[in-house]
Amino acid sequence: MTTFSLFTQYMISGITAGSIYAMVGICWSIVFLLSQVLNFMTGEFVMLGGMMTWVFVEAGLRLPVAAGLAVCCSVVLAIILDQLVIRPVKYPSEIIYMVVTIAAASVVKGVFLLSFGSQTHTIEQFIPSMPFHIAGASVTPQVLCIIGALALIGGGLFLFVSRTFFGKALKASASNANGARLIGVNIHMFMLFGFGLAGAIGAIAGVVITPVTFTGYSVGLMTGIKGLVAAMVGGWSILGTVIAGLIIGQLEGLSAGFISPGWKDAFTLSVMVVFLIGRTMSFPALKPVRKER
Amino acid sequence: MSIQERYRRPLAFAKLIAAVIILPILLPDKYVVTMMFFVAIYGVLSISLGLLVGYAGLFSLAQPTWFGLGAYIAGVLAARGIVPGSLGIVIAAVFVALVSYLLGLGVLRLKGHYLACATICVLIIGEIAFIQLSDITGGHSGLLDVPRLSLLGFAFKTDIHYYFLAWALCIACLCFFSNILCSRVGRAVKSSRDSDLASSAMGINIAKYRIQVFVLTSVASSLAGSILCFYLRFASPSIFSFSLLVQLILMIVVGGGGTLGGYLLGSFLIVWLGELLSVGLGKFLPVMTGEVQSIFFGLLIILFVIFLPDGLSRLPGKWFFLVKKVVGYLSITGKGLRLGQNGKGRSDS
Repeated sequence: MTTFSLFTQYMISGITAGSIYAMVGICWSIVFLLSQVLNFMTGEFVMLGGMMTWVFVEAGLRLPVAAGLAVCCSVVLAIILDQLVIRPVKYPSEIIYMVVTIAAASVVKGVFLLSFGSQTHTIEQFIPSMPFHIAGASVTPQVLCIIGALALIGGGLFLFVSRTFFGKALKASASNANGARLIGVNIHMFMLFGFGLAGAIGAIAGVVITPVTFTGYSVGLMTGIKGLVAAMVGGWSILGTVIAGLIIGQLEGLSAGFISPGWKDAFTLSVMVVFLIGRTMSFPALKPVRKER
Repeated sequence: MSIQERYRRPLAFAKLIAAVIILPILLPDKYVVTMMFFVAIYGVLSISLGLLVGYAGLFSLAQPTWFGLGAYIAGVLAARGIVPGSLGIVIAAVFVALVSYLLGLGVLRLKGHYLACATICVLIIGEIAFIQLSDITGGHSGLLDVPRLSLLGFAFKTDIHYYFLAWALCIACLCFFSNILCSRVGRAVKSSRDSDLASSAMGINIAKYRIQVFVLTSVASSLAGSILCFYLRFASPSIFSFSLLVQLILMIVVGGGGTLGGYLLGSFLIVWLGELLSVGLGKFLPVMTGEVQSIFFGLLIILFVIFLPDGLSRLPGKWFFLVKKVVGYLSITGKGLRLGQNGKGRSDS
């Protein structure tokens, strides 16, 4: 393969990974904006989507049914998390929420390890056809499914938030919870809805990625954290998260290809550290000087 | 100040030291001594994490990384025969101090959960580095053939030697950190936890004191890591992973209540609980790794945060409160509800 076709190949694997990070990042943003909870369960939703689909397919169900059931499982788990774990916390602060969701994530992870073992699993491709070629790089149809899923989720959410009444109410309550509560909005219902939606989107991401990369009990943490990187770098907005996710995916694909596959996760995570530190710095010398009037 | 009050702290330390010395005489059992060794090592970690979280208000989660760096640097230097073990421990501590100082310069500017996210990234990057630098660290299979430690001409051979070494470190940390908390540095970080705006308005250089506490706790964890590595004569990336973090969080949640002794109590309880779990459930469960233990540890964290947010060390006198919370939780969860509304959302903060 020439360098150019290698480059394209890495770009394509970057887009695949980046789309997943964008979807996971959207999950983080929804929950964080609506309830100020950094939900470390997000990664486990992805794991749950992939693993439960595999479980249902093994049990003899057809793939679409299995995927649907897996998404339902994830939504139910998200609702349980909100009702039984997040809501009863007595002295809420962002840190306490974080601790509680980290704990919940390790519970889910351990339960899956116990139930289904530590092997990795996969499911068949959605569209069974041969890979085709773009600029010397081979592309499986599953990649198109993943990009399609991201486009559907991102576009759908954007239309939902900007065009429907309920979406606008959600947006309002996310930007000012107190104000929304004062005019009689039941923001707990909104938070519940946010958790459920995050569970659904996370599980969908888990379902579409599973044919490409294998799934196992331990995929949740890393996918989740990278989604968090996308959400934070993207500034918690849908468009920003999608762009940031795709950029992070490219960075990861190219660094895995040209530098070292083992270190790719470290590169992605150092983006977050550098970004967060960089955000606290200010460079007065670089700012344009305002003229006195 | 009454005499009792005056001698309360020295008395508490005397009791602890006496207990540490008497225990191996009363129970000269290899098993108990080994477990209490781990209590001391994890005690150092939970005290340093507790100091950061509880007193300084810095939710820094990279403690397992400093622990691992201490273990790997001292272990590698000794296993390759570059320097003797005692010098290796010092080199590891100095290196960790340097790294944590440089990291702290940038990271400690962050607040709240942003600091937590950045340090979680550091933790995972550290884990990846331990695995990927396999020429040096041995990768997944771990660092083997670490020699025994000898310090100032005394060779540490048996479990009991390491037991006393670990407890010496643990008590020294407890003493040092509790003194720090009564000093200028301690008062400064406590005030910056309560309100960083007010304390910097008072002229306190928050950044300086925060970084001092951060480096000191990192060095304490690194020392504990070095001792653990010489005891096990082995180090593997899984020891310093995310599940250790869950365990440490549980220790400070269980100990809780903002006393350093409480964090040590948390370490004691959780180490024994973990052992109890692996002995009791080892027969029924196919795999008993740290991640399976994390199921129970995670559940305990959730239960403690909901029902006993102050931890066990402040339990006496709170029984009524606990009963009230449990009844309230059972009657209220799932319906929409009063407890939830009072304790929810940013309006309260």
